This record gives sequence, structure tokens and C-alpha cells, in this order.
Amino acid sequence: MKNNNDIESFLRENRPQVEDNPAFLLEVRQKMRAVEGIKSEVDRQRDYGRTALVCALVLGMLAGALAMLLAYMYPVDTEAISDGVISAIRLFIDPWKQYLMIPVAVCAVALSVLLGAGGRKTAGI
Amino acid sequence: MSPERFIDLVRAEQESLRRFLLALCGGNAQEADDIAQDALIRAYVASGSFLGLSKFSTWLFRIAYNCYIDNHRKARPEMVGTDAPAALNVRASEETDAAFRYQQLYQALDRLSEKEKAAIVLHYFEDRSIKEIASILQIPQGTVKYHLSTGRNHLKSLLQ
Repeated sequence: MKNNNDIESFLRENRPQVEDNPAFLLEVRQKMRAVEGIKSEVDRQRDYGRTALVCALVLGMLAGALAMLLAYMYPVDTEAISDGVISAIRLFIDPWKQYLMIPVAVCAVALSVLLGAGGRKTAGI
Repeated sequence: MSPERFIDLVRAEQESLRRFLLALCGGNAQEADDIAQDALIRAYVASGSFLGLSKFSTWLFRIAYNCYIDNHRKARPEMVGTDAPAALNVRASEETDAAFRYQQLYQALDRLSEKEKAAIVLHYFEDRSIKEIASILQIPQGTVKYHLSTGRNHLKSLLQ
């Protein structure tokens, strides 16, 4: 082989031949099905985690609201039963009371983000 | 991409893909098919990220080449010997000189660098353009031309 034409013709004339293998695509299909199974299981686990988190947030907020409602409906003399502990806590919180809504707001934003993400997934976006 | 659509696209490309990997694997059909399957599954998993900026076949070949490189790094294949699987790809009834030519060719290809070998295989066995080869190997077009030129020269001396 002295020039480029010789080597080019040699290569083109000796292109490897692949044997027909009907099992090849069948195996690919099987593996694709396995991948689909894994993907759906991962999605299911993620949805389960998200649902559990949303439930915990909602239940927490409801429980808090219920506790406040009960406290207003049935006020008790807490000082008499807490031996001054509640007064101490109240005094400790007093300078920071304007920031108390921040964690509540963070929870509300997290909840809306989670619900929004779930909604977009349901819509297939 | 739906599984049916993916399989339709793969059906059109599978022979070419398997031949490309067969040549890269020195005629080892089993190894070539294993890498092809691995590449197809990786492509299927990533098919959501295929934006159609290049042809499907170019994208698939790029994944297959990367799989081959990963596989090759893990375990360097043995040099092709006289009883290597390359010979098994040629039926016994076929002429012995054809089997000998394949052996010679695979042995010579195996002595090239990975990029030279891939460029030669894609250009001469798969009739891919320089632009497509550059996209598959993720190198500039000038570098593809260089690898083709040096690969041809090496093959010339090896096949003397």
C-alpha cells in the first residue's frame, strides 16, 4: 500500500460485517423495562417523602392553631401551675416577639413550594 | 422520548453502532454488543436531555464512544491473536484470505491511538463526515483531519 487511495480502498472493502442478532433489541427492551421500573420506584419514593413532609407541616400548623384556640377559649392561670416557668419564658421571648412570625412564614413558604412542585409534576411540566 | 420512539430510532442505527464498536473492540463481537447495550441504556436514561441539536445517531455514537472509552480504561483488552474472536466473525465456509485480511486489519487498528482508530473507523467504515466525527469524538474538525492523516500513515506502514 503505497498511497492514500490504496489504504482507503482496503478499508472500505474490508468493512467489518456484524452478524444479525435478533436477541440484541430484545435485551435492550428488557433493560429499558427494568430502567422504567427503577424510575417509577424512585418517583414513588420521592412522592411519598413529599406527601409525608406536607402532612407534617399541615398537621403542625393545625395543631398550633388548635392549641391557640383552646388557650383563648379556656384560659387558665398558668402561673399557678407552672411555678413561674412560663413567666420566665415569656420574659425571655418578650424582646424577640416581633420575629416570632418569621419561622411561621418560612413554614408557609416551604409548604407552598412543596405543594406547587407537586402540582407542576401532576400537570406533567 | 417514549420507549417505542426510542426503539424505532435505535433499530435504524443498531447495525451501524454495533459495527463501529466491533471495529473498536478488535473484532470481539461479545464485548462490542455489551458496550452497545450499555450505551443504549445510558442513552435511554438520558433521552430526556436530547434536545435535537445534533442528529440522533451522532448523539448515540458519542455516548457509545464514551462507553467504549470507560470500558477500555477499566480493562485494557488483549491484543488480537490468531485465535481471537475476530476470526470467529468470519464464517468457516468463507475464504481464508478474507479471514486473514480481517485479522490483519483488526491487529493494525489495535496498534493505533484511540482517537486515530475511532476517526478511521467512523470515516471509512461508517462514512461519517469530518463534522460528525468531530461531534462524536468531541474534538475540533482540524484534529479529526490530523488523526485521519496520521492514522492512514500508521495503517500503511502496519499493513505493508
